[in-house]
Amino acid sequence: MPDADKRFAEEWRDAAYNCFSSGHKFCREVCPVMQVTRNESWSPTAFHANVVAMEKGELEISDVAADYVNCTGCGACELRCPNSLFTGDFYRFRTRTVDLVKAARALAVSQDVHQDAWRRWNAETDERSHEPVTEAAGQERVRDWAEGLELAIGGETILFVDCEAAFHRTSVPRAVARMLNLAGYKFGLMNEQWCCGGPAAEMGYEEQARRFARHNLDDWRASGVRRVLVLDPHDYITFTEDYPKYFGDDYDIEIVLVVELLAELVREGRLTPHIPVERSVTYHDPCRLNKRKGVWREPRELLRAIPGLTFTDVDRVTQWSYCSGGGGGLPIEKPELTARISASRIDKAAELGVDTLVSACPWSERPLSEAGRARSIDVVDLFELLATSLGVAP
Amino acid sequence: MTVTALSDPVLGELRQILGDEHVLTGKADRLNRARVPAPFPVHRWAERLPDLVVMPGSTEEVAEVLKLANRLRVPVVPRDGGTGLTDGAVPLRGGILVDVKRLNHIKDLDLDNRTCTVGTGINALKLNERLAVHDLIYPDDPASYPCSLVGGRIGTSGWSLIGSRYGHTRDLVLSFDHVLPSGQVIHVGDGIGRKITKSSSGYQLKHLFMGHQGTLGIATEATLKLFPKPEAEFSPFWAFSDYADAYRCVGLLARAGVATFAGAVLFDEWKVAYLRRDDEAYIPQPSSVKALVCAALYGYADEVEAGGRRLMRIARDAGARYLGDEISQGDWAARHDRYATPLHGRTKSGQVAPMSWHCEDASINYTNLPSVRLAWHEIADRLRRESDVFDDWGMFAYTNGATGADYLTEIDIGIWEQRLDDRTWAAWVRAKRDLAAVALAHGGSISACHGSCREGEVDLVPQELGGGFEVMLQIKRALDPHNIMNPGKYLLDQAYGAPS
Amino acid sequence: MKYRRSEEMSPPPAVPVTDVAITRFEHVYEVAPELMTEHVLQQEFPNWDTLRLVHSRADHLAWMHRHFAHTVVSGEELLHELDG
Repeated sequence: MPDADKRFAEEWRDAAYNCFSSGHKFCREVCPVMQVTRNESWSPTAFHANVVAMEKGELEISDVAADYVNCTGCGACELRCPNSLFTGDFYRFRTRTVDLVKAARALAVSQDVHQDAWRRWNAETDERSHEPVTEAAGQERVRDWAEGLELAIGGETILFVDCEAAFHRTSVPRAVARMLNLAGYKFGLMNEQWCCGGPAAEMGYEEQARRFARHNLDDWRASGVRRVLVLDPHDYITFTEDYPKYFGDDYDIEIVLVVELLAELVREGRLTPHIPVERSVTYHDPCRLNKRKGVWREPRELLRAIPGLTFTDVDRVTQWSYCSGGGGGLPIEKPELTARISASRIDKAAELGVDTLVSACPWSERPLSEAGRARSIDVVDLFELLATSLGVAP
Repeated sequence: MTVTALSDPVLGELRQILGDEHVLTGKADRLNRARVPAPFPVHRWAERLPDLVVMPGSTEEVAEVLKLANRLRVPVVPRDGGTGLTDGAVPLRGGILVDVKRLNHIKDLDLDNRTCTVGTGINALKLNERLAVHDLIYPDDPASYPCSLVGGRIGTSGWSLIGSRYGHTRDLVLSFDHVLPSGQVIHVGDGIGRKITKSSSGYQLKHLFMGHQGTLGIATEATLKLFPKPEAEFSPFWAFSDYADAYRCVGLLARAGVATFAGAVLFDEWKVAYLRRDDEAYIPQPSSVKALVCAALYGYADEVEAGGRRLMRIARDAGARYLGDEISQGDWAARHDRYATPLHGRTKSGQVAPMSWHCEDASINYTNLPSVRLAWHEIADRLRRESDVFDDWGMFAYTNGATGADYLTEIDIGIWEQRLDDRTWAAWVRAKRDLAAVALAHGGSISACHGSCREGEVDLVPQELGGGFEVMLQIKRALDPHNIMNPGKYLLDQAYGAPS
Repeated sequence: MKYRRSEEMSPPPAVPVTDVAITRFEHVYEVAPELMTEHVLQQEFPNWDTLRLVHSRADHLAWMHRHFAHTVVSGEELLHELDG
């Protein structure tokens, strides 16, 4: 067995054993991949058991690297695991399937075991400094979405816009910027923004992820940034989990989630949605907000503040088992699996008889929109909807 | 990576039946279907690998696989949730593992007759999410409620936490399609009816094809009895300063004949001490709390309130201290998915150690609970003295039914499986045999819910069943002449001339 | 939820509750850290994660009640009636 495999198995063996030994599998029916494929080789339990098998010399990473593709990083499994949900806080030791999957993918890459689409994607990201979410994605176009909004560059507070929103879902950052301007909230744009690096880390290209993170942090420091506003839940994870791990005590930037900031501005009366939006909606809890960060209240607060909406809510615990399929690099390597997961999510919305599914995560909106077309369900972003009701439609 | 003892022609035929993507031969695919929660020395994991895995999508595909296996004499092991505690889903002789998880569709929902028909790969919690839209519930509620599958419940003849009100799996499953070892598909129920709840026609085959641990074939589609989703729930928890009082109280509650009574649970001193390690409800309890009792009631609010009032009075008169709504409600809600977590484990010096949870269960009459309890703890204590890889996690006794005759009696033992060597494994197997012997000596049954086909306990099954065991052998031989279904379980090799 | 690493990595001080448990956040218990020094070591645990689990657990338990029944009867009220 390669030394790197051994080191990996040693690092993860106890955590893996905690899962292996309990055999609960409460993760199974909340896992989006498991729910549509029913293939236990791709379950969170298997991802842990494989480590135990590696430690026993039964498996090498090259045997299982392709299995670890089958994860959206939604975090349902690790939250639903009794080792987290019932005792994680007590022991300060919880199940960390998402980290394990990332580590296994990184181990594969370090041994030159690649998934073709991921390799291409990350090479292109490296070239462009941005994910190739559209043909146009690249450094010279990173602020195109803000055209005509006359936003400042730099300052103490900046708005960070993820690749999908900056190049594809441009109406989302436009909505955010216009609402913050309306409220008189002062912010600028980043001097030279690169991709946050989170997707590279998720797909196992860790050196690249760290390089991108270093660039962004250096850029923030150089221009005196103290606070970063984040509209994308994936970026929020990267900035509050990956960057602190990379930079340790040096990491002194405040990270603010835009959905929470907007809820605060509405609460304080600095923004008052008043234009009725006549839609019948339900809300999709983005996994990285709801499951991985416990953020579910504010998006609902905002929806309930919009006049004209008929809002059929599905509670946040039920939604632990929902996912768009858009995370963890899955749509890049296995678009057909993402499509099955998003179709299943749209089916659940369709059963409610709504015409619109509202999300708060740009990365979920492409697969959900594609699935929604087949069922005549519109997929819109919460920020677009809120901006419309505030009269500053993007 | 393909490592399989099965020859290419078998693989070819299976791929023809199921399609390439539903025949898995990778080592990880096989390793990950060789495992259940029951402890087993990790260094012996590879002994239990299937040769390959199939994931059928229909009853017909299961039947074709069994026909092929029967023709070629290849062992077949059915696997549903793989959450059982008696190794039913664990291959002992390689062969084809039939993973039924793709059979998870709701085929029919009959609101007028209050039944639904489902693939056996469906999970009850997921099913109930769908049934809730119609204000219905399928109340089969094991500790593995969020992950066990209907087929596994049939294969083990499972036990339900709220079975005193709604019945257990045997009562809730009305009928099912069953693929015999020959590949023939039959439908078994009460009589032949799919949605019939009572019949006197012919032998009662339904019970025969439940609890066989996969040794008599594979259930693929089941018709289930549904109930109105309860309007109200009541789940009081009470504290006692000694076990004897708690024991007396649980008996009174169970015998009270309250119609909405869904079950009662007795926690002994060891269990309370164990809960004080890490359970937020019990950490702050005064040291005078030595035993606990809880009860659960389901039904319409007026019925539950009336029954609840009666039980509250009985408990109060029996000297119980009500623990309050917050603990009662929080703890009960956690009982639907109460699997122990590994960090509950402690070495003798008190250090946290990751241990696998093992629950040994038996059915014991009420009057024998106190003495079984002492005898079982003695066995657990012996294990603990022998090695730090064992830990006594205390005992529960759960009512099996509405009249209070007998209880699912369980002792939970933590086992540090990472360090389980051949010597400590042998000690464990010996302890299992001893635990089963105590149950039999007290007129009980070796298992109320898991089944009894693991090493250790299984040795005593012929003793428990007496002449019935010989009938088991005859049935096995008649239905599975080539011993392809889950061979090596329940001493059934004896049906084919193996020494007893 | 504004995130600052320095704040997240500074939990409130531990107060002993029993021989084997401490508390840092109100009504939230933790294992006495000295019991996790040999076989299992504690993980780095930012405050947000502790609170996320505590809140999720409460939400999950409430969800389980709703999953099995529409309402929950209060034992305290029944007892009050009996005593009254």
